[in-house]
This record gives sequence, structure tokens and C-alpha cells, in this order.
Amino acid sequence: MRLHAIRYCLEEALASLWRQRWSAGLSVLAIAAALLVLGVFLLVTVNLDRAVARWSAAAEFSVYLRDDIAQDQRAALNAMLEGHPAVASRDYVSKADAARRFARDFPDLAEGLAELPQNPLPASIEVRLRAGRTDSATVDALAQQLRGAAGVADVRFDRRWLERLGGIVKGLAWAGWMLGAVLLTAAILTVATVVRLALHARRDEVDIMQLMGAPIGLLRGPLVAEGLLQGGAGALVALAALYGTYVAVRGRLTEAIGPSLDPGLVGFLPGGLVVLVLVGGMAVGCAGGYVAARQVR
Amino acid sequence: MYGRGIYALRDVSLVVEKGEFVFLTGPSGAGKSTLLRLLLRQEMPSDGKVIVAGRDLARLSPGQAQAYRRNLGFVFQDFKLIPTKTVLENVALVPRVLGATSVQQQRRTYQVLKWLGLQHRMNAYPLELSGGEQQRVAIARALVNEPALVLADEPTGNLDPDLSLEIMDLFRDINARGTTVLVATHDRELMRHVGRRAFSLDHGRLMESA
Repeated sequence: MRLHAIRYCLEEALASLWRQRWSAGLSVLAIAAALLVLGVFLLVTVNLDRAVARWSAAAEFSVYLRDDIAQDQRAALNAMLEGHPAVASRDYVSKADAARRFARDFPDLAEGLAELPQNPLPASIEVRLRAGRTDSATVDALAQQLRGAAGVADVRFDRRWLERLGGIVKGLAWAGWMLGAVLLTAAILTVATVVRLALHARRDEVDIMQLMGAPIGLLRGPLVAEGLLQGGAGALVALAALYGTYVAVRGRLTEAIGPSLDPGLVGFLPGGLVVLVLVGGMAVGCAGGYVAARQVR
Repeated sequence: MYGRGIYALRDVSLVVEKGEFVFLTGPSGAGKSTLLRLLLRQEMPSDGKVIVAGRDLARLSPGQAQAYRRNLGFVFQDFKLIPTKTVLENVALVPRVLGATSVQQQRRTYQVLKWLGLQHRMNAYPLELSGGEQQRVAIARALVNEPALVLADEPTGNLDPDLSLEIMDLFRDINARGTTVLVATHDRELMRHVGRRAFSLDHGRLMESA
């Protein structure tokens, strides 16, 4: 399609949208509502995904050592972890380090700990796992092996709930896409109805243009462009509402959790997804416009 | 032929030469508009052929049909102007649709409006014009693309006798410039005024030619 044709389609679409601004507004709101619901699901799943990824990256075994662990037993443990494919790194936390950490994290209880005749906290080895590159069977086997090793009091492994959370995130994403698909289909039908109304209002004009020999693309183009503009406007409204919701929720979270809320943990949709929502809205509008435009033959 | 054996036109055979001015006459329901619709390729013959400039209209693809229509000008009794567009926009729609630049659109449109004495009404909307002015705008729109053939279906049906004669004089001028003109009318007075060849239709049959 040549530039003049694109310009013609957009000008006609804008004029038509202005003429029937109330019904077009409803259509924009329908698309915005559908995309907002989808956006909320996306925002929640993206943030949960981000959290799961962070926590997975930080996932670790805490291998608590017996107070009476012998030097050679520690060496054997280190040898077991050294070069294991599931292990990214490991840190030794002495009993004194554990007490310092406890005092830092729970200052109110620090005094009580200091009053005890001896430090009850065990030394440990914190083993960080390779995020996403180890299957649970390998990790389970390692945990089992460590539990049975001499000098080990206990092994704490926090990946199971992360896997469960990951499953919930996937389920949420699925539900979001399904609900989004239903709402977007409804939005397509709404756009199609509104554009059909526009076509009805312009029927004489379209008939005259057909008699003038206007190419079919030029007859259908303004209708598709109308859908496209409605979809784009709907997507922008949805993104603005989504951003407003995000700012409000983030404010509430900061109020509830305090300044210790990790700023990297709760974020808005990444740029790619914002573009996807915008393009998706335009595609939905285009589809609705095309459904109506097919009446012009 | 329409359904259940009803013929809109039957055994019609007529040849119009390039550059000719021809009237198509007959009472209401005789088939005049159907013949024009066949020429506009809004209808297809159930039998027989409609050939314009050597091309069988039934064999044109949708794209070719649109290209064919770009060489036609049409004028209807009810003017068929777009009420939401000004006179200038109505007439400029054809060159605009055909991809002319803004300058070309304005030049062509102004030329034809000036020729039809409508240059002072360029910014008016159709409903602000008299019937005669509206029909002249419709004629301007039909001519702006310099078509080879102009089809007019009862172009004076909504006009008083003086205006009707004025419009017929315009068609005569258009024809004098080399454009083939086919006018469907039931007004024999107009045909006598213009004095050109006429075909008469009655109940879908070509009855006479004079």
C-alpha cells in the first residue's frame, strides 16, 4: 500500500472515530479491560518469576556441622562438594560468624544469646546451587549424601517450596493467558461491532468509492485502521492503568515491609512485554476491524 | 435474469460508438437502470455479454473491474454525494482515491468546478446546495478523472425543467470534448432538446431506436 493510501486510511479512520467517539470509547475500554486483566497476570507472574529466579539463584543447602566435627571429616565434606556439578560455590560459616549474623538479624534477642554459657549455634557450610542447571534428582542425591556424611548434624534444603512456587507461577500464567484469550476474543467482537456501525454510517460513501473504482484495500483500509487505532488506544489505557496499579501496590508494599524491600524484587513489566501488550492491543483491534471490513466486497 | 424466470433485460443488443451521445429511455421498470448497472459492473448478465472498449466485463477480475470503473464517470438521480464532505472534498475524492498528489487533486478539482460554475461553492456541504448545484457537483465528480464514458441515470429526475435543460447542455458539452455519454431518462422533452440517438426499453426488451 502506498503512502497516500496509508494516509488516507488513517485520516478516514480518525474522522470516523471522532464521529462515533462514544461507541469507539466503549470499544477502547473493552480492549483496555481485557489487556489490563492480562497485564495484571503478566505483572504478577513476571514478578513471581523474578523472585523465584532470585531465590533459586540464592538457593542453598545449609549443612550444619556437629560441634565435634574432626578436621578430616570437614576435609571429606569439602572434597564431596568440590567439583560437584550442582554446586556453584560454598562458604564456611563458623559458630562465631553464626552468632554475629544472629545478633545482626535479631538485635532484640542478641543479648539473650550472649548471656548463654556457650554459643549454641552450629557452624555450617552454605552451599549455593547452580540456578536452573541442576535437576532435583541430582540435588536430592547430594542432600542425601551430605546427610549421611560423618560430622554433619543436619542438612536444610529450601528448594522444594521454590519448585512448588514455580509451579504456582506457571499455573497463574496459564490462567492469565486463558482468561486474557477469552477477554481478548470478546474485545475483538466489540471492535468488530463498533467498526460495523462505522461501516453502516459510511455505507453510502463506501458504495460511491466502489463505483469510482477505489481498490478494495482502500475501502477496507480505513475500517482496519479504525480497529488498529482503537486497539492501540486500548493498550495505552491498559498500560497506564497497569502502571498506576503497580505504583500503588508497590507503595503499599513499601509501607508494609519498610525500606528493607529489595528494590530489584518488585518491578514493572520489562520493555519487551510492554511492547508486546501494545502490539497485542493493536493486533486485537486490527482483527476486529478486519472482521468488519470483510463485509466490503 | 432474476430468479424464477423474471427477466430484467431480454434480447437486448445495442452498440454505442466511442464519442457518441446516446439516450436510453422507457417507462419505470423498463430496465434502464439495470442496463446501466451492467455497464457499471454492479450486475452480471445471466446470459450474453457486455463489452466495453473491447473488454468483456464478466471476465474481469475484481481488481480489473475496479480499474475499469476508474475510466467511468457516473451521475445518479439522487446525486449520491457524501453529506459529511464539502463540495471540494466530494469532487477531490476521486483523484485522492486514485493516488493523485494534493496539488494535482486541487488543480483538477478546481478546474472542473470552475468549468461547472461551482468554484464559489467549494467549501459548502451538499445539504447547503440547491438540487441543481448538487447535481452539478455530482457531474463534476464524474468528470474530474476525465473518464472515457459517462453514465447518467435519470440525472434530471429531481430537477425543475429549466435546470434539467441546463444539465443536459452540460452533458452535451462533455460529449463535445470527446467523452462517450449514455443518459437514461424517461423525459422525451429533454431528448428532443438534445436531439441525439435514443434507445427505448420496455419490459426489458429493446423496442426501437431512433
